[in-house]
Amino acid sequence: MNEQQRLIKESLDRLLSDLCSKTTIDKAEKGEFPGELWHALADTGLVLAGLPEDLGGAGGDLADSLFVVREAAKFAAPVPLAEHFLAAVLWSGRGETVREGIMTFAEGDFRLSDNDQLSGTAPAVAFGRWSDTVTLIATRNNEDFLCGVPISEFRVEEANNIAGEPRDALSINLVLNKSQYLGGEPIKRKAYLIGAATRVALMAGALESILEMSVVYSTERVQFGKPIAKFQAIQQQLATMAGEVAASLRAAQSLETKFESMTELEVAIGKSRVGEAVGICTDIAHQVHGAMGYTMEHSLNQRTRRLWAWREEYGSEQEWEIAIGQFFSGNASEKLWDQVTFLN
Amino acid sequence: MFQGLTFEPFALPPEAEALRSEVREFLADSLDASVLPNSDFNAGDSAEFSRALGKKGWIGITWPKIYGGLEKSFFERYVITEELLAAGAPVGCHWIADRQTGPLFLKFGTEKQRQEFLPQIIRGECFFSIGMSEPDTGSDLASIKSTAMKTEGGWVLNGSKIWTSYAHTNHYMVALVRTEPASENRHAGMSQFIVDLGNENVSVTGIKNLSGEEDFNQVFFDDVFIPDDMVVGKPGNGWEQVISELGYERSGPERFLSAFRVLVEFSREISEDADAYQLALLGRLMAHLVTLRRMSISVAGMLEQGDMPITEAALIKDLGNTYERLVPEVVRLANLKNPSSRFIDTLNQCILHAPSFTLRGGTREILKGVIARGLGLR
Repeated sequence: MNEQQRLIKESLDRLLSDLCSKTTIDKAEKGEFPGELWHALADTGLVLAGLPEDLGGAGGDLADSLFVVREAAKFAAPVPLAEHFLAAVLWSGRGETVREGIMTFAEGDFRLSDNDQLSGTAPAVAFGRWSDTVTLIATRNNEDFLCGVPISEFRVEEANNIAGEPRDALSINLVLNKSQYLGGEPIKRKAYLIGAATRVALMAGALESILEMSVVYSTERVQFGKPIAKFQAIQQQLATMAGEVAASLRAAQSLETKFESMTELEVAIGKSRVGEAVGICTDIAHQVHGAMGYTMEHSLNQRTRRLWAWREEYGSEQEWEIAIGQFFSGNASEKLWDQVTFLN
Repeated sequence: MFQGLTFEPFALPPEAEALRSEVREFLADSLDASVLPNSDFNAGDSAEFSRALGKKGWIGITWPKIYGGLEKSFFERYVITEELLAAGAPVGCHWIADRQTGPLFLKFGTEKQRQEFLPQIIRGECFFSIGMSEPDTGSDLASIKSTAMKTEGGWVLNGSKIWTSYAHTNHYMVALVRTEPASENRHAGMSQFIVDLGNENVSVTGIKNLSGEEDFNQVFFDDVFIPDDMVVGKPGNGWEQVISELGYERSGPERFLSAFRVLVEFSREISEDADAYQLALLGRLMAHLVTLRRMSISVAGMLEQGDMPITEAALIKDLGNTYERLVPEVVRLANLKNPSSRFIDTLNQCILHAPSFTLRGGTREILKGVIARGLGLR
């Protein structure tokens, strides 16, 4: 963590401790947009951390953006930080000023016809109904077009993921004006990679927080006359979890520091490694918390349900592991070690 | 938040990367192509190889120049060790002396000991064994029973050490023994001695491991006289000294690369258009490997800064050993159609060695205890 990140973490912790309570999250899961929380994040510039100032961002390093996403996930913040950031990176990457309001990104299947008719659908757009504009990639004759369209132009079918986060089905059929799209650069895959990278950051943050919750709980919960933290069986489980969390944090940091030069392989490694940790860590966290952690009343589930949802988004572990396997397989075999050491 | 969970990214500096190509050239020239490479650091030993490595200056590379070292960084040492392991080089002879005996002497040894031993170690001519476990003492190291009694000009050592790798070929052992009876403070009253394994009152009996190899031993001390100048550090300070070795002992690439040759052979067996199931198995294992390596480089960075990352080292060893055990278990399920005998031999060798991965250098239970302490649970 560098000095800039320490400052970000401080203000984020303060803000989220105040404005992102269990109740805030509960209400959001019931459909109430946490406006106060979002606006506080927007006012402090945290929602555009790392983006260039001359394009409307808060300045700093793009690594900071993923760092904000990771830190906010510790609080299970029910706001579209990851999507807002993804959209902002795509526009600012093309030299465009970042738009006002809440942005989301629609990963889907969209086409732009020769007369600029945009049509297509996206099955599960994060926080779609709460956004102001939707960023998406449409294709025309194999060319990618970055499009920004107000949410009001879409047909929105509301749906939630298992964490109660809005994942709305969006469809559209609309003639765009020239100011609404930008062609000339293959960007669809890049958007998918950044999307996956945000999931790595989200998962790593939430994993760190459920470790902390589990450790604290184990020192408070008394059974057989002593805190369960004193039992080796519990200590060993938490130690296993700590290893998974440490590896996840390291994997997430790699994507943060390499953001500008992020490759398919780097994203794949992060999504695979952290996704695998989710299964192990949520298992242990719930086991340590006992029946109490299985209740809706306990805030553990606000993290674990998100972890189970996020590991499926932008490709499960296996999708990425196949890509990693392709990279390291075949005639490259004698070069296996060389390929590993190339990945500093 | 917790102690020992943070592995800040460190990039290997250019001079370390430059050294990498030199090491590869050396390995290409000096490895015997007729020997199936094994990346388990305990699976092969060659005094000749270690001497050749010493000639290059690659043993004790971080140590002071006055003893023959090159005063290079821990990053350069890291690169050398991982290149040796990945190639499956026979590193067994010098490994312990380079990894922990030398650093122990530098931190606690007398000037005379440093002058006598470090140059020999650096030349690849002097090999050390670890003397910690005993027949009745494994994880509970403080329960050791070997004793040294003070006598005129030195100490008289009695007792026995076990699981001592290469005691039959190495020159010395650093043995942890009781110099005072056990008291309420279990960690008090232990000392470390340099024992000449060629001493006529020392006897070494080989123990076959389950793969049929005889690399570890039981070592017996029968009134072995140890001169005063072969005490390492202060008498009675043995426990603290042993603990300080652990940051070096547990954090290196040998804790996650033991099964690496299985991956090499596996990746040779499957092509880019292999079925998705096989590719995903390889992909999963490589994602782990790359992440572990990055964590281990972070630890090299901490050592370079002068930190003593005991918890981090335990954590990476536990995670790495779990991974090493996972590799053959995953690869065997790949359902390869006509695997080469080279693949099968490598996999079988790994399966036979795998039980030792999570025992040597601290069992997984002990490591998890250290991590739990870092979490504040004990």
